Amino acid sequence: MTAVLEVRGAEKSFPGVKALDGVDFVLRAGEIHALLGENGAGKSTLIKILTGIHEPDRGEVRVFGQAVHFANARAAIEAGISAVHQERNLIPRMSVAENIMLENLPQRLGFVDYAEVNRQALLWLERLGLEVAPERAVRTLSVAQMQLVEIAKALVLEAKILLMDEPTASITPHETDVLFGLLRQLRDQGAAIVFVSHKLEEVFALCDTVTVLRDGRNACHAVPLAEIDRAAVVKFMIGREERVAKLGTKPFDATATALRLEDVATSFGHAGVSLELRRGEILGLYGLVGAGRSELAKALLGVGHVTGGRVEVAGKEASIPDVTTALHRYRIGYISEDRKAEGLILIHDVASNIGVTIWRRLAGMLGWLAEGRVRRAVAPLVDKLQVRTPSLRQRVGNLSGGNQQKVSVAKWLAAEVDILIVDEPTVGIDIKTKTDLHELIWQLAKDGKAILLISSDMPEMVALADRILVMGGFRVLGEVLNDHDYGRMSRAIMAHIHEAEAA
Amino acid sequence: MTDRLRALALADWFGLLVVVLVAGALLAFLQPAFLSTYNIYVLLLSFSLWVLVALAQMVIIAIGQMNLSVGAIGGLVAITFAGTMEVWGLPIPLAVLLGLVLAALCGLFNGVVTHVSGISAFIITLATLSIFKGINIGITEAQPFYAIPDAVKAFGAARLGGVPYMLVVPALAIVGVWLLFNRMVLGRQILAVGANRHAAELSGIRVGRVVVIAHVLSAVLAATAGMLAVARLQLGQPTIGDDWLILSFAAPVIGGAILAGGHVSVIGTCLGVVIVTLINNALVLLGIDPFFVQLLLGALILAAVMLNRWRERRREALA
Amino acid sequence: MGLALLIVVLVAIFATVNPGFASPFNLFSLTRVMGIDMVIGFSMMVVLVTGGLNLAVGSIGVAAVMVGGWAMQVQGVPVLPAMAMAVAFGAFLGWINGQLTVRIGVHSFIVTLATMSIFFGAMIVLTKAESFNALPGAFVDLGRLRYWGFVSGMLPAALIVGVGLWLFFNRTSLGREILAAGANLEAARLSGIRVERTIVVAHAMSGGLAALAGLMLAARNGAALPSMAGHIGMSWLLPAFLAPVLGGTLLTGGVISVVGTALGAAMVTIITNGLLQLQVGEFWVQMFLGLILLAAVLLDRLRGVMAERRRQVR
Ligand SMILES: Nc1ncnc2c1ncn2[C@@H]1O[C@H](COP(=O)(O)OP(=O)(O)O)[C@@H](O)[C@H]1O
Ligand SMILES: [Mg+2]
Repeated sequence: MTAVLEVRGAEKSFPGVKALDGVDFVLRAGEIHALLGENGAGKSTLIKILTGIHEPDRGEVRVFGQAVHFANARAAIEAGISAVHQERNLIPRMSVAENIMLENLPQRLGFVDYAEVNRQALLWLERLGLEVAPERAVRTLSVAQMQLVEIAKALVLEAKILLMDEPTASITPHETDVLFGLLRQLRDQGAAIVFVSHKLEEVFALCDTVTVLRDGRNACHAVPLAEIDRAAVVKFMIGREERVAKLGTKPFDATATALRLEDVATSFGHAGVSLELRRGEILGLYGLVGAGRSELAKALLGVGHVTGGRVEVAGKEASIPDVTTALHRYRIGYISEDRKAEGLILIHDVASNIGVTIWRRLAGMLGWLAEGRVRRAVAPLVDKLQVRTPSLRQRVGNLSGGNQQKVSVAKWLAAEVDILIVDEPTVGIDIKTKTDLHELIWQLAKDGKAILLISSDMPEMVALADRILVMGGFRVLGEVLNDHDYGRMSRAIMAHIHEAEAA
Repeated sequence: MTDRLRALALADWFGLLVVVLVAGALLAFLQPAFLSTYNIYVLLLSFSLWVLVALAQMVIIAIGQMNLSVGAIGGLVAITFAGTMEVWGLPIPLAVLLGLVLAALCGLFNGVVTHVSGISAFIITLATLSIFKGINIGITEAQPFYAIPDAVKAFGAARLGGVPYMLVVPALAIVGVWLLFNRMVLGRQILAVGANRHAAELSGIRVGRVVVIAHVLSAVLAATAGMLAVARLQLGQPTIGDDWLILSFAAPVIGGAILAGGHVSVIGTCLGVVIVTLINNALVLLGIDPFFVQLLLGALILAAVMLNRWRERRREALA
Repeated sequence: MGLALLIVVLVAIFATVNPGFASPFNLFSLTRVMGIDMVIGFSMMVVLVTGGLNLAVGSIGVAAVMVGGWAMQVQGVPVLPAMAMAVAFGAFLGWINGQLTVRIGVHSFIVTLATMSIFFGAMIVLTKAESFNALPGAFVDLGRLRYWGFVSGMLPAALIVGVGLWLFFNRTSLGREILAAGANLEAARLSGIRVERTIVVAHAMSGGLAALAGLMLAARNGAALPSMAGHIGMSWLLPAFLAPVLGGTLLTGGVISVVGTALGAAMVTIITNGLLQLQVGEFWVQMFLGLILLAAVLLDRLRGVMAERRRQVR
């Protein structure tokens, strides 16, 4: 088989991180090639280099044997590469069909031929089993439907090379099966497909070859999947065999309830959500993207609102109109999954980012805020969490991902919260810091904080949580008591998700 | 058929149409002179000019930016148009062409600088507003050009009953811009860039090219308005364009445009201009302080954005 | 700081080319305008830090001054309370801007675009476009205040306001919260800051400062004129944006430079004054200011890009 795509020694740096550090990759016609690696390993960056979004700092890319330098996305499309990107890229007000055909709108006499647009789009909607009218505006679709439109948009180009970055993150197992059938068909017709996923079951079911990245380097390069087992793949991904960090035992007082939800409904559309979180406990919320976990956290904090049921904090009924009340009255803190957009103020310094939650408490008369007081409150936390920063005056945007995450944890420690909601705490963080953060979260619980852990990272969930609630479609689907056995736990969790889909 | 009717009723501009009709009927009832041929002529005359100004801004709103220099470009082209005819004795078609080319260059400058520097169009066009206006004042020393060729004057004054000849120009522009945004690839690309620049880029749209073209188009529309203003005023006033800013935003926003980009309505914008024209006319006909226009215009913008927000939220709640 | 150096160079050039530039009379009128432009710049600066802007600075300034003029001339209110009334009224109009921005949830651009028109229209309708030109002597004298023979009292007044603003944004919890919310609204909200309040406060401050600038201008003119900020207050916009943008305040919010804004205003005034002195012709000054704004933002951008490059190379 011939190589349709070849990458040699690709390097790419962003301020503060080297996302790719000499990566090799080869893709052949008629194969589905899994590209694996932990979050932050550099998979998406590689995909973006191949689609003309980023230019590599160094290295060579060959397509059909020709060296190429894509100046923009158009150039990649013209070279015969199409892609489904990890982040959503649709135009909400345009129709499903127009979104699908946007790369190449059919025209007649200089005008867009909408009949033709709809006809061609419908063909692919049908093949994907997506039953929505092509004229419908994309913004009225569900997350899963949008994901499928995104996939249709890539397929319609009928490119010889198809790159798919976590296409299954938010679609159901059934929709995944249909997609896989289609991808196999395309492969058999000679297309070359790159498939990025965190779900190893899917990878073994679908793919022929695997390349694993770790910290921007090749952990392995184009190994046939038939020659390698699951344990070996995991070892490539995390660089060691032991998946679950041993954290010791952590007894907690089963009677000290910190947070209790009873039949809660929210403005985001949750219904009948009940849960109980005790002091010293880590309660996991597992689910697919779009399951409504972050939204539940935000509704509790007062960003959205609770529209029904009962919320109790420390045994007393609570009504939380805004985050200020959540923080200062009920002592609830939230570490956002989106550090850059919601967690940190990248253009401000470390001291401000940690101090922001306690300025009010530190301020004297007329709101006077003495520099020294802030420094004295913040400095011990920087030491305790071992944030690697030249000084408290350093801009947070200049720190590495792991240290940024430590800063966002530190600000809630400064605020001395009792309940901490941690949303995807280790996305895009290197392995060493990841372990540090796991130990830190675990230690916080041991010190008596109640922790609600939202994560799509199954090993992380199994390592940290005491109990795991499985969420889907803005409801709680079931509960699993964690015995820290990865295989058993992941099967139990998936069972809840399958069950909900079958129902 | 009922589906069609419902779709019509949900369109951005349907409510506006009702407002226009009711206001028109009310005015006709209160002041019969409203329907006189001459008054209709006056109405259409100001509509002609303002709709071009509004479209010039709308094109830029579509890409999610703003163009503060619409008026300055209109003014600069107006005095160039008048000046080259008076001072150099340029024939009219050549002067028109020169005006359009000058505008295209101004738009090109706005677009290229905005795109290449990545600085917000607000600041860039604030700077070019001063530059273009400054050149205008520097050349004219704030004095108008009086010697406009008779043919231009005649065109500005000619009418067929209540319909000014001039209306042909904006009518063509409206049809053209409507086709652009609803039926042409370029227009759809402009909207895609305005809605989600990153997604547009990934879909292979050349964002830079689209942004620059939108700025050129905006400038050309502004220039057309400037030259029509010369024909209408029968002189090359350096102050042409000074009072366009508020109106240029008011009409598209009243018409349902989303300032963040990606959604504009040509029909809505036209109706927005009609509403503004009616208010202006009503205050004159009913003998009210003209500065009330100013007040009402502002209030109308606020009402329109509130209404748009409300509709947006309701749609979200329904979805 | 580069700006300070540039100012020194400019002054030196203007002073050597044209001796009239350094005359006490010219310096007096220069520092007087400088003080006013600084406060106009501050007025825009305090909303820029929220990531918003205030197109209504001119309208608010004029409207507030007309209230002050009416209080002094018609109602016979003593000068200080009347000035306080004007500033409070300006702050109130700014508060309206802030409330509308927060409540409607659209960018302050469109809100203040509407209110600039509303405030100005209402002011003209209410005053019938007539000015108050029999203001009390004590007020008009403020415009004639002069130190060491060549520094107008307007400049120290503006500098005192600047010091106050610096302390507010660097040393009080509310000031810091405004900056945090301006830099990243969602992060600030999720950190327990009442972000809506920070926006309203910033707009109210902007209105108060615009009113103060208006009062200073009225004292200089010796009258409260409806036309003193041009058509719907537009002629303040350029100085209002020039000073903070030249001074390094980010339009995207979250970063403030009080010193920079003051220096930016100083530079604009010096260039304008110098050009007028050089007989370049008053008609070309506006174009120069536009070119300076363009050059300044482009240079600033270039510097940012270079800094980024250097960091990546390392
Ligand atoms: N546009 C960007 N700017 C700065 N850093 C980035 C950017 N894109 C990715 N990174 C960083 O590069 C590293 C690799 O990211 P990515 O390729 O998205 O990983 P993956 O897709 O494997 O999870 C991460 O540390 C991430 O934070
Ligand atoms: Mg990725």
